[in-house]
Amino acid sequence: MVRCGYCERRCPLGPESYGYCRMYYAPDGRVEERFPDKWCAHATARIETIPFYHAWPGARCLVVGTAGCNFDCRYCANAEVVKVDPAQQQDVMLDMAPEVLVATARKRDCRAIVFSINEPTVSLPTLERVAVAAREAGLVMGCLTNGYATPEATARLGAIFSCVNVSLKGLAPQFCQTYLGVPDAGPILRNIEALARLTHLEVTTPVIEGVNSHELGEMAAFLADVSPDIPWHAFRLLPEYKMRKEDYPSIESVGALVEGAGEKLRYVYFHNFIGSRWVNTDCPHCGAAVIERHSLGCGGDRLEAFHLIGHACPHCGGRVALRGFHESATAKETAA
Amino acid sequence: MSLAILDAREWQQVVDLRTGRPLEAQGAVVDMVGALVDRHPFPGDRDNQSNDWVTDTALDLIAQYDPRFAFLSFSEQYYSWRYSPLTEAERQQRVDGAFAAVERFAQASGFTVVVVGTGDLVPAAVPVDLEGLDGLAVSSNWCAHYAGLYDLSDRDRALLAAHPGLERVVSRQDIMTLFDGRPGDEERLPESMAVTREGHFFKGTSLRRLYMIPQPSAVVPVSRNLGPVGSVTDIRAALLKLLETQKVALAFVEGVGCADFRLPHTACANGRGWFAYEPGDGQFLAISQGKHSIFEHNGGYRYYQDDTDSKPYPYSGFFTEIPSGTIGQAIPGRSIAVGNRSMFMHVLTGCDVTCECFARNLYNQGVMAVVHRQDKA
Ligand code: SF4
Repeated sequence: MVRCGYCERRCPLGPESYGYCRMYYAPDGRVEERFPDKWCAHATARIETIPFYHAWPGARCLVVGTAGCNFDCRYCANAEVVKVDPAQQQDVMLDMAPEVLVATARKRDCRAIVFSINEPTVSLPTLERVAVAAREAGLVMGCLTNGYATPEATARLGAIFSCVNVSLKGLAPQFCQTYLGVPDAGPILRNIEALARLTHLEVTTPVIEGVNSHELGEMAAFLADVSPDIPWHAFRLLPEYKMRKEDYPSIESVGALVEGAGEKLRYVYFHNFIGSRWVNTDCPHCGAAVIERHSLGCGGDRLEAFHLIGHACPHCGGRVALRGFHESATAKETAA
Repeated sequence: MSLAILDAREWQQVVDLRTGRPLEAQGAVVDMVGALVDRHPFPGDRDNQSNDWVTDTALDLIAQYDPRFAFLSFSEQYYSWRYSPLTEAERQQRVDGAFAAVERFAQASGFTVVVVGTGDLVPAAVPVDLEGLDGLAVSSNWCAHYAGLYDLSDRDRALLAAHPGLERVVSRQDIMTLFDGRPGDEERLPESMAVTREGHFFKGTSLRRLYMIPQPSAVVPVSRNLGPVGSVTDIRAALLKLLETQKVALAFVEGVGCADFRLPHTACANGRGWFAYEPGDGQFLAISQGKHSIFEHNGGYRYYQDDTDSKPYPYSGFFTEIPSGTIGQAIPGRSIAVGNRSMFMHVLTGCDVTCECFARNLYNQGVMAVVHRQDKA
């Protein structure tokens, strides 16, 4: 048996021991992926849908995912993909070598490949090989992660992803145990600090009214200590999976809580519902709306208008935290 | 100006449908519809209350607005069959449930209800993977049967010709000929279209495992109370005739073909030649406009090309204009549409007021109501 070094579960692995996520094993005493280059789906979308609001605004992306996860969130929105044994899904997985995936992204005129359906840590070697091919093709890579990787794997994530959105779901150990299936949030907080040094970082918090809503202030204070420039997305949680029957959070009251909690951060958003009015970026210096967006809920955010000149506010010249530049999506594709 | 009322449960915004920008301007009809959708939160695509939500919402809207025509879609069974492993008995139970919801509507409204089944589903047996092509294969989230093909190489053509999962590959010109296309019509057609064999499916962008898939049916059932119709494109004219003497509702029971249809019916053509509509927006549009609309809407279009910075109608998929000549526009009296089949009722029906579920990939965001007209007496 060897210990897996990808996430903080550090599962014992052997030839037929696959770990909690069931994505790794150790056939010859070395940790290997069970299903390299297998993808559950790919789709073309804008980068705002991940969400990234401060990285390559408007960029068209190839959104991809694999199978498996190292968490057991009670409200998982993608449970039908990530909670099923990955071995049982292989009959419908797409088999795409890194070069094929990158070529597909280019044929669809994408600027980026974004991993956002399940947890990238469970497919890290495949993603590293995609990153090599993507870099050669001039594409950037981004991901959405639960942040529970080991320090070594976090460094590898930071090296291949030009933008990372960490899901900071809760702080209290009791919450982590009951709602996420992990002992505590310590590794996630540590990795947020590390990723903020390594790459462009945004943070998302799915808000469950009455469950983690009282922790919003503490989360915002932690993020502000790391950097007040970290964009923070409070997500109205839609109850799914084991919470399907539970109430929907109140938009008015959670919105007020988020506004209050995020005062020390410069970029605070509240969305994941149709018509949210909390999705624009205001200049932190003069208050002018400098990036306007539209929320259609669940992966439907859109860039409406981009007013910055480079990274500067057109009204006061103040700097707005941004990685990359505005990508104006056109109706025409380029030849691969 | 058309207005959209976005209802995310106990929280509403009224916006300009074209731009998505919030509006203060309201009116009696908007106020009435806002209160109505607040009373009827959407239970979810696969919830067993979903078809009853259509009936309840439509009856409430009829009581408030007194329309002469109603366009309804009952789709809970369609989503459940696609994405849930159901036994045949459970499947039949859901057909019964859909027809019961239609019947309850008919009884309570007093409308003459013309029922259309949109075609059969078959077990999803074999995924077809075209990712290795030199060119590009595009199928949408909901399209299992057709894929658009672009920039094919000679190698691709040979691969496709020998592919065991494909029934045929047709060129853009073949599609133009089949549907009597005129110059300019080809703009939104793919360069070629791949068509799968029965039980085979393009995985497309769908995250979820498919259990059943639409098998586009050459014929679909239309309840006999409409009178004789030879094709889905004849339904519109026959309905308009019926409307001269009575209040009429057109009810779609999604994913149901002739074998499972519970009412006396006529089998009418659901396409032309090799092309048959899958249940969904292309078929709705053909029925609503009374003509084949494959040039505007086909499986395999590069839908994401329309997601540009300047695209209007944020709620209308790849449409950049609301289609004209739809059935709601042809009716002089008041009209409504209510449905639980995604956010396309307001685009495809042209009715004065529509209430539709706002669900994305089965995630329940709430309800959208669209008020196209407030001026009908
Ligand atoms: S990545 Fe998977 S196998 Fe490795 S420690 Fe985490 S859960 Fe276990």
